[in-house]
Amino acid sequence: MTDLLERGGVRVRVGRVSSDGVPPLGGTPEPDDAEVGRRFAAGDEQALARAYERFAGQVHGMAVRAFGPGPDAEDVTQQVFVSAWTGRTGYRPEQGPLPAWLVGICRHKIADTWARRDRQRRATEAAVTEARSAANTTGPQVDTVVADRVLLLGELEQLGQPQRGIIELAFFEDLTHTQIAERTGLPLGTVKSHIRRTLERLRTRLEVDGAALHA
Amino acid sequence: MPHCTPEQLSLAALREPLPETDRAHLDGCAECRAEVASLRRGVDALAVPQLAAPGAAVLPPPSVWAGIAAATGVTTAPRPEALAAAAPPPPVAVPPAPAVDVPPAAAPERAPAAVVPLRTRRSRLLLAAAASLVVGVGIGAGAVALGTGDDDGLAVAAAALDPLAGSGASGQARVVERDDGSRALELTLDAAPLDEGYYEVWLLDEAVARLVPVGVVQGGGDTTLELPPGLDLGEYPVVDVSVEPLDGDPSHSGESVVRGVLES
Repeated sequence: MTDLLERGGVRVRVGRVSSDGVPPLGGTPEPDDAEVGRRFAAGDEQALARAYERFAGQVHGMAVRAFGPGPDAEDVTQQVFVSAWTGRTGYRPEQGPLPAWLVGICRHKIADTWARRDRQRRATEAAVTEARSAANTTGPQVDTVVADRVLLLGELEQLGQPQRGIIELAFFEDLTHTQIAERTGLPLGTVKSHIRRTLERLRTRLEVDGAALHA
Repeated sequence: MPHCTPEQLSLAALREPLPETDRAHLDGCAECRAEVASLRRGVDALAVPQLAAPGAAVLPPPSVWAGIAAATGVTTAPRPEALAAAAPPPPVAVPPAPAVDVPPAAAPERAPAAVVPLRTRRSRLLLAAAASLVVGVGIGAGAVALGTGDDDGLAVAAAALDPLAGSGASGQARVVERDDGSRALELTLDAAPLDEGYYEVWLLDEAVARLVPVGVVQGGGDTTLELPPGLDLGEYPVVDVSVEPLDGDPSHSGESVVRGVLES
């Protein structure tokens, strides 16, 4: 306790925004993000390093937010870039910028990590139950939300644009339908009906596969 | 009145405020409420802070790239100066709030670095709902204890305070509003007494970027702290208790022991 309360010399600071760009290397102008994305999809190794330079901080920031700093977050960040590289032919530059694609992969890896922990938890609980030879009432319960997340992130992947962008703004950027209409330039009614259809689609997916998963 | 439109029910599932007529209908219609609940399962699974759009960038340690290079066989490498420029060291030193509804896992051993941004629209909506006394629909169990008047005011919001960074501390906070409109934060803090320094209570905004000091407390007791008139709890819904040294520096030390979000 006393250790924890010792002064760490840390102070709350206002976020610092680094505005200095990266100087061109050897006089070659830096490719822009879109160019990095195209080269990434085409399998240019240099583009993987460039993508890591630019976006690893965002990806790792998400992983740290979910798991705290340490091995779990580092594993997630590593898996995101390895999966992105091995699955690079699945990246469609016309569907959105590379960092958004990486962030989507990161969400999957976070959800997968939760699901893995849940499986480990159940395995441990099952072992404990068995060891105690307890009355065999019910086995360890699947964490429904954890399972739902993996399922639904997969369903989001199947959505085309603009449905996917709209629901992501609602879910992940916490925008209201009015703000989404302003951001995307789509009419309010269109935004509302896309939201409706997507939520119905997610519900259907849960009813069909969620139920089977939890049975 | 006719049922709410499917579109309005979807917005309700996203916890957007509805027009008054829809809200009134929803209050009284089990069918519409069931529809909202069935749509909300997907919302609740995905619209969580841990999956939100990226916040502060955090520079990964060099071992992460080493692992990527080993797994992919690429021979290029990121330039350290370019990496550092894109992902400065974590700018905010306030420890993250404990993750909710995440399966238990080994606690992170190193000092926390990033801040969990909390959802904005929801708690504001909850506060608004309480203000207009639309209680009873879609508000969680936390609301049950509220609204019971007692001698020193009506509880309008409450928060369970969870330990940060394994501090072992915990607590409860609630905001009471008196007949004259004044408000106070009633705090129960279960934390070890300090040999040096003191505990200070703050209200933070959800980005954990702005904060209002509320007062000084001791561990292991109940304290009532007056809130400044006009303070918008919708803007500063996060109760935070920090350990402050006697160093004359009025800013937050960055060492929080408990934190919780006020909900109505």
